[in-house]
Amino acid sequence: MTCSEVERVLPELLDDASERAFPAGFETHVKSCPACSGLVSDLRLIASESRQLAASEEPSPRVWLRIAAELRAEGLISEPAIREPQSAPSRPILISTSPGRRWSAWWLAPVAAALLAAGAYVVSHKPAPQVAKQTPAVPVTVPVRVPSAVPENATVSPDRVTTPAPQQLARKAAKPEDRVGPAARPAVEPEPSAEDQQFLSVVSTRAPSMRATYESELQAVNADIRETQAYVNRHPGDADARQHLMDAYQQKALLYQMALDRIQ
Amino acid sequence: MTDPKQGITEAEAIEQAKQGHEAAFEVLYHLHKRRVYSLCLRMVSNPAQAEDLAQEAFLQLFRKIGTFRGESAFSTWLHRMTVNVVLMQLRKKGLPVVSLEETLESDDEVPRKEFGTQDVKLTGSIDRLQLQRAIDKLPPGYRTVFVLHDVEGFEHNEIAEMVGCSIGNSKSQLHKARLKLRDYLKFMRAEKAKTG
Repeated sequence: MTCSEVERVLPELLDDASERAFPAGFETHVKSCPACSGLVSDLRLIASESRQLAASEEPSPRVWLRIAAELRAEGLISEPAIREPQSAPSRPILISTSPGRRWSAWWLAPVAAALLAAGAYVVSHKPAPQVAKQTPAVPVTVPVRVPSAVPENATVSPDRVTTPAPQQLARKAAKPEDRVGPAARPAVEPEPSAEDQQFLSVVSTRAPSMRATYESELQAVNADIRETQAYVNRHPGDADARQHLMDAYQQKALLYQMALDRIQ
Repeated sequence: MTDPKQGITEAEAIEQAKQGHEAAFEVLYHLHKRRVYSLCLRMVSNPAQAEDLAQEAFLQLFRKIGTFRGESAFSTWLHRMTVNVVLMQLRKKGLPVVSLEETLESDDEVPRKEFGTQDVKLTGSIDRLQLQRAIDKLPPGYRTVFVLHDVEGFEHNEIAEMVGCSIGNSKSQLHKARLKLRDYLKFMRAEKAKTG
């Protein structure tokens, strides 16, 4: 068998499901030919390594938030399942509805509306200065999802960051082990805003089993807002980035809304 | 399959989801989100688009969950639905789902046989990040068949039915995809060796 004949029959033979016997001379040739042996070995290696990629990526929390919002909008969600709470689960499912005075969290609705308004303002205007205070005092990583014009793992050079001088000094003075690599989030999340703290306080009081989950979701969406806001500050003309920021604010508003629906 | 944090089985979650319980939908989502999203990401190579497609796949699933009778595995049903959502999107965009003939060479195409008998093997294991990047570089038609077969585990007869080609074509596309990946990976490895 020749090398070209080997390559011709390979599409059939390398299929794992194929139980076809190797043609006469195939194995003899492959054993004796380094090029064909290498080819067969490489193609098998590629096929086997590729299986590791299935289910290897995690979507952002916003995906579930959008799905839940759409299910509600279509009326596919009626009520949460009810069962006796066991040890405090970390996910907000299967909560119990205890009798007694319901806690009114009416203020969540205007806060959610304010978040949406903030996002709309960002999309239509240059970002407001007060939002910049959420920018962490560590090198900011530009997320991959932001428009492709931004190179992967880009970090912001100190002289281009628009953060206030004291934060720049704090970052430069940071110990090497405290500095964050290009692809990592800050080791310590910034303090939550007053609204977020009040939100979590209400959740803790009304549905304590849900606090950990909402806190985690809030951290994720706040981190997204911070990173995108930092990018928009540096590229105020980038409409896609501003839309992305608007989406992030909407996700946060959705989070508030979902909590409001649950605990009222 | 059981959600370890809740102690609720997939079957229980499906029944509760049929009654409209949001918590049950969430359990099903978290049980399958990685598989669905990874499939979308491999097929379109764009995280934002992959999230949109994953969202659409789950929404279609949840809208139709009342029709699920359990004849096949739930994951299989969801898997197929996800593939259909992605293929529909590719067709809408006019992108080739399966190449019927050799695709045009791209500007950064690695010449075939550049690493011939001198460096014949991808020795050891393959760097996963390099493999992901190499898959992203594949032409859409090759990438579809490769992802469906080698990553997701569909058989050629299933792929042929889903994408609308012959089994022979599916096998041919897969083989060409693997050959291209081999060239990309060797090129990347050589480039990395140069830069140290």
